[in-house]
Amino acid sequence: MSVAAGGGESKIDKTKLTMYGLGGGVLGIYLAHVLNMVTGTGYFSFLAGLGAIAAVLMGADAVRRVCAYGIGTGVPSIGMMAMGMGLVAAWFGLAVAGVAGPIIGIAIAMGFGYFVGMLANKIIKMNIPVMEEVLMSLGGAGAMVIIGLSVVISGQIGYQDMLNDVVFTGYIAIVFIAGALAILQPFNANLGPDETQDRTLVLAISTGALGMFAAGIGSLVTVGVGGAVLTMLIAAAIWLKAFLWFFKLVKRDSSGVVGTGLLPEGGL
Amino acid sequence: MDMVSMGLLAAMGALATIAGTSEDLESDVGSQSNPNSQVQLAAQVGHTHRIYNKAISGEPPSNALYAALAAVTASVLMSDPYGMNAFFSIAVGALVAAVFNGILSMTSYMGRNTSQARFNQHVYLDVLRSHTTTIMAHAYITAFCVVAISYIMTAPWLPIQHPFPLPVIAFTWGIALGAIGSSTGDVHYGAEREFQQYPFGAGLNAANSGDIVTKAEAGLRSSIDNAWFCAKFGGPVTGLAFGLIVFLDNWRTTIFDPATQGWYAILTGILIVILLNVYNRILEIRSKKRYGPYPEYVGDIKA
Repeated sequence: MSVAAGGGESKIDKTKLTMYGLGGGVLGIYLAHVLNMVTGTGYFSFLAGLGAIAAVLMGADAVRRVCAYGIGTGVPSIGMMAMGMGLVAAWFGLAVAGVAGPIIGIAIAMGFGYFVGMLANKIIKMNIPVMEEVLMSLGGAGAMVIIGLSVVISGQIGYQDMLNDVVFTGYIAIVFIAGALAILQPFNANLGPDETQDRTLVLAISTGALGMFAAGIGSLVTVGVGGAVLTMLIAAAIWLKAFLWFFKLVKRDSSGVVGTGLLPEGGL
Repeated sequence: MDMVSMGLLAAMGALATIAGTSEDLESDVGSQSNPNSQVQLAAQVGHTHRIYNKAISGEPPSNALYAALAAVTASVLMSDPYGMNAFFSIAVGALVAAVFNGILSMTSYMGRNTSQARFNQHVYLDVLRSHTTTIMAHAYITAFCVVAISYIMTAPWLPIQHPFPLPVIAFTWGIALGAIGSSTGDVHYGAEREFQQYPFGAGLNAANSGDIVTKAEAGLRSSIDNAWFCAKFGGPVTGLAFGLIVFLDNWRTTIFDPATQGWYAILTGILIVILLNVYNRILEIRSKKRYGPYPEYVGDIKA
């Protein structure tokens, strides 16, 4: 592991995080769809946002694993790549598979990620051992975040409805960029030799909640005031909790959180 | 070309100039983008500091976020059930973008400094309080101007009527603005201000990496000092660059109707690029003649 980029040991196993991310993401997206359909309201759109937060956790941990190989300034690029793979695969899945679209989209995104990782290692010869596996997780996370935040806005899974509510209104712009920042910001903001996994993941909850809030603003027009306000309130509550938790971890890990002061001696 | 189109073109150019200036200063207060790597390295080579470390991402993605978020909020408020006035909608949108900017800035500052605990880099809460609001204020101006430009391009009652929706246009302008800020403005903060103890233009020797100025004329250097310095030249020149891009690009499609005189617009664009290249070359030759090589340089040109 590169000291400059950081990435200490992982307390939570990557397989566990990937499982929770995939399970939580898919469950959230489908629960939102089914409950909204059954009740005929938009109140359950927030569940897709919660699914997106689970996906962000999985994606942020994947960014952390690959960037620990010293890709310091490449963190935002990795996040963008995840969203790029996810965007294409997600909308392809939705276009061809109807209600099964999210699952097909996520699967294609993961296959896509594996292929890109293989190209990076075998053709460009980057020789980063975790590349294939990490890009697979990132592709899946990107697709889930795109679909999750899109379902927050549209309230249901359905290609034509989602096109009308998310793409033609232009809200896809915020889905893409807020999702990308949610995945890349946690590790990017904690980059350094004393980075810890729990601090990064807590920040991932916070940035995921910000993405959910942004999608909630868009849903004010599409799913109605009730559902949108509920999404935004839940997102704000999750953000506040995660932010305070993050600040607690900053105080735990930092060499000093001080009100003010002169410069201490350097640590070298 | 009617008077309304000309007026709108001028307004867009002016808004872009302001947006470019505030965007560059926003990134300077936070040490975002390219100069950030030196702030990050400083503590690692033994120079602890009180400079803001706002590593949100490169400037293009972060500005795309602020612009897109402000545009989504504005477009929601302007749409059917709410029907708010465009001016106030954009103002509220920019406010939401500024709040997001503040949150991302704070978490970056705290996270990055905490991850340098072994180098004794503290998290200073007074830096967080004083600088975050300054950063947010600049982000507000940037987001407001970018969304205003995008609104002029898309509003159904104005002549341009771009077919793309407002958030997508704002997103694209946000990326363009970030790219201009990163390429034009960074050198004045990074190479000039951070390394003011070395001759400007000498390039950054790898041995000097991280050896940034951490002490000011009196007391310790703060990032607000850096914004004050960059506001003299780096910020305005970034604004000028972005303003010219927005102005010239829209000027050629305003004087030539894209539907019937598309080729003229394309040829004008190519002509502008050629002229600017020639001008840059002349400027480079004149600067080399006037200022000569650096004193240490003993190459083929006599020092």
